[in-house]
Amino acid sequence: MTSGPGCGAGAAETFGRDRMEQILANGVYLGAQYAMIALGLTLIFALMNVLNFAHGQMYVLGGFVTYTIYGQLGLPFVLALMMSCATLFILGALIEKFLFAPVIKRSSRDESTMLLAAGLAFFFDAVILLLFGEKQRGVPKIVNGVFNWDFRLIMPYDRILICVLAILSIVSFILFMQYSKTGRALRALAQDRTAAQLMGVNVDRFSMIGFALGAMLAGLVGGLLVTITGVNLGMGGPTSIKAFMMVMIGGAGVISGAIWGGIILGFMEAFGLAYLAQYGDITYLLIFVSLMIFLAIRPQGLMGKPWG
Amino acid sequence: MIKLSMFQWVGLAIFFLGVFVIVPMMIVSTGRTDLFFTLTSVGLLAIASAGVWLTFYIGRINIGQGAFALLGAYVSAILVTKAGMSFWLSLPLAGLFAAFVAVLIGLPILRLRGVYFAMITLVLTQVFTLTALALPITNGAKGITSIPLPGAVSIFGLTLIPDFATLENPRQAFYFTTAILMVLTYAALYRIVNSRLGHLCRSMQQNEELASSIGVNISYIRILIFAISSFFGGIGGAMFGSIAQSVYPSSFQVADSVNFMLNCFLGGLGYVFGPMLGTLVLYFGWDLLFELGKYQMLVYSSLLIILMLFLPNGLLSLRMRKSGGQK
Amino acid sequence: MSALLEVRHVTKKFGGLIANNDISFDVKENEILSVIGPNGAGKSTLFKMISSFLPTTSGEVRYKGERISNLKPHVVARKGIVRTFQETTIFKSMTVRESIVVAQHLRAKASLAGYFWGSKTAHEDVESFGNYADDLIDFLGMAEIANEQASNLPQGNLRALGIAIGLATDPKVLLLDEPFAGMNHEETMRMVDLIRKVRDERGVTVLLVEHDMPAVMKISDRIVVLNFGEKIAEGTPLEIQNDERVIEAYLGSADDEIGM
Repeated sequence: MTSGPGCGAGAAETFGRDRMEQILANGVYLGAQYAMIALGLTLIFALMNVLNFAHGQMYVLGGFVTYTIYGQLGLPFVLALMMSCATLFILGALIEKFLFAPVIKRSSRDESTMLLAAGLAFFFDAVILLLFGEKQRGVPKIVNGVFNWDFRLIMPYDRILICVLAILSIVSFILFMQYSKTGRALRALAQDRTAAQLMGVNVDRFSMIGFALGAMLAGLVGGLLVTITGVNLGMGGPTSIKAFMMVMIGGAGVISGAIWGGIILGFMEAFGLAYLAQYGDITYLLIFVSLMIFLAIRPQGLMGKPWG
Repeated sequence: MIKLSMFQWVGLAIFFLGVFVIVPMMIVSTGRTDLFFTLTSVGLLAIASAGVWLTFYIGRINIGQGAFALLGAYVSAILVTKAGMSFWLSLPLAGLFAAFVAVLIGLPILRLRGVYFAMITLVLTQVFTLTALALPITNGAKGITSIPLPGAVSIFGLTLIPDFATLENPRQAFYFTTAILMVLTYAALYRIVNSRLGHLCRSMQQNEELASSIGVNISYIRILIFAISSFFGGIGGAMFGSIAQSVYPSSFQVADSVNFMLNCFLGGLGYVFGPMLGTLVLYFGWDLLFELGKYQMLVYSSLLIILMLFLPNGLLSLRMRKSGGQK
Repeated sequence: MSALLEVRHVTKKFGGLIANNDISFDVKENEILSVIGPNGAGKSTLFKMISSFLPTTSGEVRYKGERISNLKPHVVARKGIVRTFQETTIFKSMTVRESIVVAQHLRAKASLAGYFWGSKTAHEDVESFGNYADDLIDFLGMAEIANEQASNLPQGNLRALGIAIGLATDPKVLLLDEPFAGMNHEETMRMVDLIRKVRDERGVTVLLVEHDMPAVMKISDRIVVLNFGEKIAEGTPLEIQNDERVIEAYLGSADDEIGM
């Protein structure tokens, strides 16, 4: 994991940074993509109590798949996105089945999965380095033009499109979790593993599906965002850290918490970059410090259940 | 008054002989003095990892040791370059300051458990890196450079420690200093684990509520352990700064914090000497794979994963007889 | 006999929900007092407040005239009021003996630093911990499982281990959390004997919270009955058995715990 503030998912340049309308729009845009990243992480955590260090790397991998199919091969963007999802879904399923499940079964401590996840993060970094190199990669714009409301709110159409797609994905994910049979089984599993097993939920199978879904969400955001921010090897680690923060703000393992966490971080970043940009990395320092103070007061996060 | 078995005495004697006599002699005779530097790094990382291991012992996954190593490195560097203090005085001060900061930060965050504590300590490392970038006293991204080598220490005209700058091979001097510090650290760790404090830690690791019901002041022990852990981190960091003669915000970052944690996991959390072994194996493993060029990272991480798959309880779990943590 | 433990107007609210409303009673020295009630009557909430594992909303608990509610649990333990847990709360990877040794924390005379350097007091402590542990193991008849790891013990022994850990602290008052839960008749009777023995031979005052009516009737000197968070009766087992409100509460609850 490499660090370095500000090279995360979508911190990039902002437009007309002192207008309130603009800041709010940037907040929504950042918040939507962050929420998606956090959703995947929190899903994996809720189901298996695994802190997926490799989440950021999965996001980057998703970006590179879309880059290859849409940017290099010139195939349609939608197809590339679907391939990003499919790749990460399959990868997630395999990782759960052949790595996490056996280690969880054999280890005397829950924490061993953290080492495994950290090893995976390094592994993905290595694979990405070999396949795609260290350079920043970009793809052609998916739509051209800029939305301009009287210079009060300026936003390129591609950003608006990506933002809408992200929100749609979040909504469909929630609906899926709420109403589909799989979603209900996953929720039962997250709530109480033993009870779910007693109720006849195939725990092994749904753990695998859940992990795969979490990985898929990371891949999907990666695929979406490569069209705007591009993608590079160094993005993985910082993205994981941001995802951890969002999950903590909202309360680990809680779906609504992850969404709130994403939105809050997105808005904090939008405001911070607008007002504090001239002080360099102070924005992130302030975000991190205020998060720590928040957690000191409310350890379970916004939506988490009180414990301990 | 420490009771050790015959087997343990022999092991200890071999260890001392190896670290203080055989290894240095071999290095000097083969002329590979760069190995002094490598081994010194291993020793210092093992000191910091010992701290991480200790926080594991109270059931907290600590991914924040990089923050305290960085803090120690800066405190020592600032005291030496700006206040003209002797390095040998700045070293314990760096450790103590790290411990002091750990108390302040630990008060709120040690209430968190499990993955929550892990995540927040990870963020803590990032906070310290960013703070080092932002503060004037740390000189931002430029860092603090040209830190003088440790000076001489003498009492009543008797030179106890020579001025490192006058030595023919300061690396060798750093090696011995580090070896002594590492021995002290692990001796302390061994005593902590095998004395009452260690027993209380174990009780907390297994169930904090039950521990408090038998009268253990769990918040006090948590803070105490976190402070000791960070003290080790601060000492390790300060030594590093002195050897490199420079400190940058990137000297210790999230990846280092993760590595400290990995050292402990790899060696095994149930064994006092686990972090030392883990550090040695990870560091040399990484070095040995250097030959592989661009495949270094791939092979290294694959090995990590495979190791985890087959030895999920650490390297020392290979030994049937348990030492240290299991009495 | 004077009151050792006084529960005075203790009330607990969770948001709008009242878990315990204005509960008062005394525990006299060297008696066995049981708090009973149907499911959801607020027994375990009251139990946690007495051991300071939960703060009270209002009211207080006193021990020898000194307030012990709303303190840190370890402070209350230090004063000699020690609670046990149900069987899952043990030191899983310690043996029975190790658990008992570690639980003698409060009897330590040496400081933590003293143990670190290996001072004389520390050595004396370690020796006395060992002797005391052996005594206690004998007293509880656990010699056969003394060196067994707690996680390997069968369910039946875990409850006794919990009581052993509590007793190791040398308490004045032992608070037992459902000591008979999930036990068959034979096990229950053995536990009843054990608790009696603890009181008779070690002079420990016992307050327990329980479902199992027959056991409670057999063991208690006095009983406090809760229903819907309120105290509805207090008295000897005989008085309680004939109390109309108690019968009504238990019949009304349509629970499977009408063991009387």
